[in-house]
Formats: sequence, structure tokens, C-alpha cells
Amino acid sequence: MKILVALKRVADPDNANKVKIPGSGDRVDTTGLEWKPNPFDEYALEAALRLTENGQQPKTRAGEVVVVTFGPKETETTLRAALATGADKAIRVDATDDQLDGDLVARALKTLVEREKPDLVVMGKQAVDGDSNQVGQILAELLDWPQATFAATIEEEAAGSVLVGREVDGGVAKLRVKLPAVVTVDLRIVAGASVYSTKTARTFKYNEGVRFAALPAIMAAKKKPLTEVKLAELAADTKLKVTYAKFQAPPARKAGIKVKDVAELVDKLQKEAKVL
Amino acid sequence: MIEWSDTHRSIRDMVRRFVEAEIKPKVTELEHGDLPPYDILRKMFATFGMRDMGEIRAAKAQARAEKRAAARARGEDLQQEERTESGDQVAMQMLPIIELSRFCPGMVTALGVSVGLTANTIMSRGTPRQIERWAKDLLTLDKIGAWAITEPGSGSDAFGSMKATARRAEGGYRLNGNKTFITNGPYADTIVFICKLDEDNDPKDRKVLSFVLERGEKGLVQSKPLKKMGMHSSPTGELFLEDVFVPNDRLLGETEEISYRSGAKDTFTAERTGVVAMALGIIEQCLQLSVEYAKTRVQFGRPIGDFQLIQLKLAKMEVARMNVQNLVFRIIELSTEGKRMPLAEASGCKLYCAQSAMEVALEAVQLFGGNGYMAEFQVEQLARDAKVLQIYGGTDEIQISQIARSLLAG
Repeated sequence: MKILVALKRVADPDNANKVKIPGSGDRVDTTGLEWKPNPFDEYALEAALRLTENGQQPKTRAGEVVVVTFGPKETETTLRAALATGADKAIRVDATDDQLDGDLVARALKTLVEREKPDLVVMGKQAVDGDSNQVGQILAELLDWPQATFAATIEEEAAGSVLVGREVDGGVAKLRVKLPAVVTVDLRIVAGASVYSTKTARTFKYNEGVRFAALPAIMAAKKKPLTEVKLAELAADTKLKVTYAKFQAPPARKAGIKVKDVAELVDKLQKEAKVL
Repeated sequence: MIEWSDTHRSIRDMVRRFVEAEIKPKVTELEHGDLPPYDILRKMFATFGMRDMGEIRAAKAQARAEKRAAARARGEDLQQEERTESGDQVAMQMLPIIELSRFCPGMVTALGVSVGLTANTIMSRGTPRQIERWAKDLLTLDKIGAWAITEPGSGSDAFGSMKATARRAEGGYRLNGNKTFITNGPYADTIVFICKLDEDNDPKDRKVLSFVLERGEKGLVQSKPLKKMGMHSSPTGELFLEDVFVPNDRLLGETEEISYRSGAKDTFTAERTGVVAMALGIIEQCLQLSVEYAKTRVQFGRPIGDFQLIQLKLAKMEVARMNVQNLVFRIIELSTEGKRMPLAEASGCKLYCAQSAMEVALEAVQLFGGNGYMAEFQVEQLARDAKVLQIYGGTDEIQISQIARSLLAG
């Protein structure tokens, strides 16, 4: 199976409190923030690697994983890290975040999918910076492919389909999607028994989480193919459909008050908060 | 090399992720309890492909030893070829040392003695058969190694005052003596035992030989871990040998003609450059913790980082970090160029880095004040750990005398 994985580099979500909005309000200031791969995209890569191997012999690859990111030169570090953990080749679409929206990324990905001809596109359900949760769905629509979103489990089936488990209220909904398809993943996808290729025994349990790269593999990743593509090559129209009018930080939380006793509390809840 | 490459950073991030997940949650058991470090180290080896790399190293060493043996059989004295590792290989060894040393420098000591000192001694002196028998399992961490030279009465003057002996016996040797401060001693499966051949001659004229001992050998007692100031994640013990009989195939090289004294220099250089990486890890961690603390600890109504005396401490720590990091870069760069660091320079590096790590760690304790004295804030542990860098692998005083001797020679 050939899988295309879309990876986005985002500002470290653990440093969200360091995000600043300049007085002009025209952008989010990301200077000084650490960059990390979007966690859901890392899970997507892990899922793709599990689908292209026998879990007991992960060194022998059984399939091809292509990783793609949209970003400036620096984002190649993210791609190299993906190559080190087992992806076969990488593509960087040269662009900066302010030149992109979910629609444009999906349109450009469509062209890439037509070039690369993967059997499956796997990506995170959303990126933790903009939290748009759009690209997978738009891409499936543009390609006219079936889609399964928020995947918690994926099982490859011999008949050219994947069985995707989706956690819903009160249980798990299973969707059988015929390949080629688009699947977006949720965090449960990296649990021990979430993803099985046809080669991996159902009794096999993966280590929870995203795999580590072996040190020699990190060295060898320097030699794996990484190509750069211009955004305009992939999408004739690079005009954005989503434009941002203004950025504003949420208002600072006001200090609370202390009440003397329960009576005062009830009084305030009734008269001021008007919740009783 | 003036900075870490992207590849180096990837390695660092990957190891850091492992340390966060596997070591950080166990620091209390490792550093304040009795948890031996070996299972975590084995997991690290399996995770990062270091086990496979160990197997490859063992196979290469065996091939080299076969070449040496063949040359000797032809009557040629094949000088041990210079083995230089590429810069990236050296970086690949140093980055895990740096990251481990931020939390458990003792784990580096336990690891270094097993796969470094012990395995390297067997690989450089052993016959092909001996390498196959012992080195491979050490390099994969399937077995744990110890390297026994120090004795209660012999430290810096290791060979001069050495009392441990080997006497020839029918089909082998009888070994006697006490060794102390032996890293991994309590748990070791494979022990390189260094002693003098007693031919009823004057001790100062005796040959120094090395033997391989296995756990459970009759007459060999491995003590429980000794209580010590720091490096608690590295078990240290004593070895007692009473008339331990070993067959001839336990003598490294299987000949009395290779004196242990020759070639000890390579061991020292490797040990000393390892200390440089450990010092960097300790310094980086102390500095990072101190900067965070200086920003968040409020006294007299403002963060203590506003005070110039605190700023001075931070600036000095940063300068130490820059210097030690540059020495790490130099060691890597020398390997890239196929050069080896001369012993006197390795001594200088070790001296400077050990002292810097100690100073930085103590300054960090001071900066943290009362909290710094408490185990909870980690700098206390790193300060205790750092002290041994000035003692083991050659004391500061020995390094100083070697630097001076090299300056005054000729």
C-alpha cells in the first residue's frame, strides 16, 4: 500500500501561553516559540507506518509512505524526522502559513495526490494551531474519494478497503471505506491495538504512542529523497478564501471575590449572577 | 563544527523524548532508591538501534583481531590500526550521554564502564575467540561488564601500588586480591580483572596482566552496592578474589607478552572525552533550571532574576556552557578530520569540564537557596553527581600533572 501523509509544523502547543498578539491585531506573533510537528499528524504518520509493515518486523517495510508538508525551508527538519522514523520520501511545498488556508492546502494536495497516486491519504483530524479541521474533508470531496474522519482504529482488509473505527457517543461506529480514501485520525489511533495491516497478527500489540527513530536511521534520513515543490505548481489559483479581519487576545480574567458566608453567596448568585 | 546540525538536533530530540518518558518518572527510584539502571539502559539500546550497532561493532572488532592474529602468525608485528570514528559517530555517542546526564549522570557511568571500558579492553587485547565470547554480549548490553583496576591501597598510582596477583598454576592461573570502587561491581556478569604476575620477583618488576572473570566464579565475591555521595544510578562495589582458578583462555590475548601498561592511553583518552559530554549535560540542566527559577521565584516583590548577583551567576553558568559545548564540538570535529585528541589535551578538557560542572552545579544550588538544598529541586543531586567527575577517570591533580609534564617535556 502507498500512503500519503500530510504533516504540519505548529508552534508548540505547550507554550500557548507565550502567544502574543501585536497592538495592530493583524497577526499572531510566533517569534520565540518552539516548533513541533502537529501531534495529530505525528499520529497519522505512526498509523501509516503501521499499515505498511508487519508489526513484528518493522524494519522490513511493506509499502511506501510519502510525507508532505507546506512550509518554509525550516520545516524540512519535520520531514527529516518523519523520514528517520520510516517514511520513504518527503515533499515540501514551499509556502508560509499566511499564504495558506484549508481550502488552498486541500486543492494543492489534490494535485499532489494525482501525481503520487497513493492508495490512502492519512492526516491528523486537525492542526493544533488553527484547529480548523477542514483539509481532510475538503480533499476527499475534491478527489471524490470516500472519507473517514476522527479515526480511532484502522484495519487494512484484503479486499482493497480499510475498516475505520470512530468513537461516537455510546460506542464505536465502524466504517468500511473502499480505497483510495482519505482518513483523518484522532489520538486513540496510537494505542497498542489500534492499527493493523493485513500482515500484522491481530494478537500483536504495539507500544503505545509514536515510535522512536533509531539513531542510525536518523543519520540515514539525510540521504532519503526530499523534494521541493512550488505552491503555484500545484494550485493555479492561490487566492485565499479565508481571510482574517483581526486578531484579539481573550480578555484577561478578572479577579474573583470572596464571600463571607453561604447566605451572601446565594444572594449574589440570585441578584448578580442571576443563575438561581 | 560551530553548532549542532539538524541531524544532531533530531537525535537530541529523540533521546530527550525517551528520557522524558522512561527516565524522568523513575529518577527518584534511580537516584534516591535502589533501582539498578540496567533495564532502562537495555530499553534505550533496543529503542535506538544501539543494540544492532553493538553487534556490528563486535563483528568488526573480531575481524580486526583475526587480522592481527594472522599477522603475528606470519611473524609480523601489525600495529593496531588507528581506529577513528567519523564525527557523526562520535556525535551519536555524545548526544545520548549529554541527555542522560541532565537527569542521571550515573547511568552514563554504568553504561560507559560496561560498553566502553570493559568491552573496549577485551576488543583491543583479546583474541578473536575471546572477543566473540565476551565482547558481543557486553556491546549489546545482554551482559553487564565491570573493569577492575582500583584497590583499597592503589588509586592514582594504579600500577605502582597494585597488590592483586596472578600466579601460574597447572593449566591456568590462580588470582588473588581485593578491588574497590568498581562500577557495576555488584551486578557485573563479565569482569576484566587487572593484576600483576607474581613470579616471586620484586613487585615493581612484575608484568601487568588482565583476565576475564565471570559472575559466580568459585572464590569470587561481588559486594553489595557501596553507599556514596552521588551517582546513585551507577552501582559501585568491591570485589574479593580468593584463590580464583582460571584456565589459560581467560588471560586477555592469551599471552603474557602483552603488558597492560602499553596502550592504556587510548582508554584514558576515551574516558576523558566522555566526561566532557557528561559535564555539558549537567551544566545545561543546571542552567535551564536556574533560568526558570530566576524568572519565577519572587523575593522583595520581584523575580530574583532582576538582581545583579543572580544575573552574575547565570552569566557565569552560560559562559561555562559555551566553553564546554565548544570542547564537545572540537572532539567531534577532530574525529571528522580523522584526528585523535592527544592525551594531554584530553586531560585539559577533562580538568576544565569537571571543574566547570562542579562550579555550575554548586552555583545552581546557591541560586535556588533553601530549595536548592532539598532533593526535590534536582540541582542538589546534580551537585553531588558532578563531584566525582573531578575524581574518577584520573583526579584533577593527575590531569594537572599530565598537562604540565607534556608542557615541560623535550
